[in-house]
Amino acid sequence: MTAIREFSHKASSTKTLILGLGNTLLCDDGVGLYVAAKLREKINQPNITIIETGVAGLSLLDLLVGYDKAIIVDAIQTEGGKIGQIYRLAPEAFNTAVRTASAHGIDFPTALEFGKKLGLHLPQQITIFAIEVSDITTFREECTPEVQKAIPKCVEMILKELN
Amino acid sequence: MKRITIDPITRLEGHGKIEIFLNDAGEVKNSYFQVPELRGFEKFSEGRLAEDMPQITQRICGVCPEAHHMASTKCLDDLFHVDPPSPAKKLRELFYSTFYVTDHTTHFYILAGPDFVMGPDAPVAERNILGVIAKVGLELGGAVINTRMKNHHIIHMLGGRAVHPVFGLPGGVSKGLNEDERKEVEQIAKDSIEFAKLSLKVFDDIVLKNKAYVDMIVSDAFTHRTYYMGLVDDKNRVNFYDGKVRVVDPDGKEFAKYAPREYLNNVAEHVEPWSYMKFPFLKNVGWKGFVDGKDSGVFRATPLSRLNASDGMATPLAQEAYEKFYSTLGGKPVHHTLATHWARLVELLYAAERLLELSKDPEITSPNIRTIPTAKPDEGVGIVEAPRGTLTHHYITDENGIIKKANLIVATVNNAAAVNMSVNKAARALIQPGKEITEGLLNRIEMAWRPYDLCLACATHTLPGQAPMEVVIYNSKREIIKRLKR
Repeated sequence: MTAIREFSHKASSTKTLILGLGNTLLCDDGVGLYVAAKLREKINQPNITIIETGVAGLSLLDLLVGYDKAIIVDAIQTEGGKIGQIYRLAPEAFNTAVRTASAHGIDFPTALEFGKKLGLHLPQQITIFAIEVSDITTFREECTPEVQKAIPKCVEMILKELN
Repeated sequence: MKRITIDPITRLEGHGKIEIFLNDAGEVKNSYFQVPELRGFEKFSEGRLAEDMPQITQRICGVCPEAHHMASTKCLDDLFHVDPPSPAKKLRELFYSTFYVTDHTTHFYILAGPDFVMGPDAPVAERNILGVIAKVGLELGGAVINTRMKNHHIIHMLGGRAVHPVFGLPGGVSKGLNEDERKEVEQIAKDSIEFAKLSLKVFDDIVLKNKAYVDMIVSDAFTHRTYYMGLVDDKNRVNFYDGKVRVVDPDGKEFAKYAPREYLNNVAEHVEPWSYMKFPFLKNVGWKGFVDGKDSGVFRATPLSRLNASDGMATPLAQEAYEKFYSTLGGKPVHHTLATHWARLVELLYAAERLLELSKDPEITSPNIRTIPTAKPDEGVGIVEAPRGTLTHHYITDENGIIKKANLIVATVNNAAAVNMSVNKAARALIQPGKEITEGLLNRIEMAWRPYDLCLACATHTLPGQAPMEVVIYNSKREIIKRLKR
């Protein structure tokens, strides 16, 4: 998906990328992928690509290259957040976190800014749908109940966004 | 208590937490570095088909899926008692070398680079890749991206997809290379060698020519005399994909050398009440606590460890870089943790050179890429060097290949004791009675563990995409006197 081959293919037609992030082995961490999988069942348009992946940082940048619009779905944990709550965010929401404090790679806004500086073709519009989660460290291939309930809601929100 | 909150959105769970306890005099008495441990893997694996493990285990981690994929694949060879044909082994190593180029590149430029290029005391907002390219130029940033993309392309070529490849099988691999693909790999390897040479030059210019940085690298605050572990080939040269595990003592003398199957005779795990993480140590030395020296079974498994545990590199340019590394730092072994960043670049060059060698190997386009297993499965162990350290997969199955027991020792766990010691030593050096504890302390402490390239469960992708860390400092009455958070 990050390969040069696909990069050139992507560059030749218009498009929206829906990127589900997470890990379906780790309980609620899979929520972004479950949402993306549901969207795949409902969306059949050649100009919309749906990718489910567990990568982060710079690798995310590789995936975004060549698209005009992107919707990212991921898990989030916030102070005092209500489990299952869905936030619609712009990348700027993380602007205060632009730095390399991560144990691996870089955070999303830093990666985006890096890509822009290098002149990569990146989406003009990026929207993030983040679902407040509870457990991301237990090996289990399903979400906790409250997060499970948020999946269809998030799917509807994204379909609305696309229309 | 003054609480500093840096991010408006900060995860509460799943972060690295460092607790530092001071004595009456205000000096560091003790410190604890806790990372979240993933729970329930063994139970999760039970009842699954062993041949699914290379696909399952690579999904554990968004950082080094290829390492889990390869350790698991090798474990299956052992489990099914099958020896892959030579071209398959070479293709695996080629795949693994290309993965190393991407991973080491990312670590050096994204994580280590900012500390050295911008300096450890640079403001947080500048101490990142954006600061690096502002200082050394966009061209280098482009080279980082290109090197990663090209090498990902090879992973895609062999694994069918760039993320979570489907490549390793018990007894071989799923796909070989045709001549056109081989030529492409050869070119990418040549470009990667140039990039690795450039990276070593950047290190030379920016770090080695700056006395303050060299002084910091060799300073006591960032030094530990430990045992070192790494895979070596039959000539005791560094190998990422295969070989025996070699351990050298703090004087650099061989202490143990064993085949993967013998790992349990050599490594045991110590449990502490304050951490879910187990602390592996050398069984034949024993656990003496979080201390270094020859009597302590604490070992390290990192790029620096691999260099220390070997007699050299198997490719010419990397061997030159290896020799320069030791002649500059005063001979073997090198105990300076920050030198791990340099060691990583020596390995980057080796990975690129090995990629070129393998791309030109006459067997590499052979269609003989799999030996079908016929023996009954029972038990297997697979060990590879993940970029961040030795990675072990161990499975026991019934005769139908259904997993009964699975054990993984990942690189971060191997280094858990050493990381704690490094954090402790940095804290001791930096926290002094009467001296204000500042935000800068956080970076210096991060610098102590950054060389280990920790693979924290939380570091993968959950928004906001960075590993939150918290340092809590207590006085002798166990009252919180400072909390630094990001």
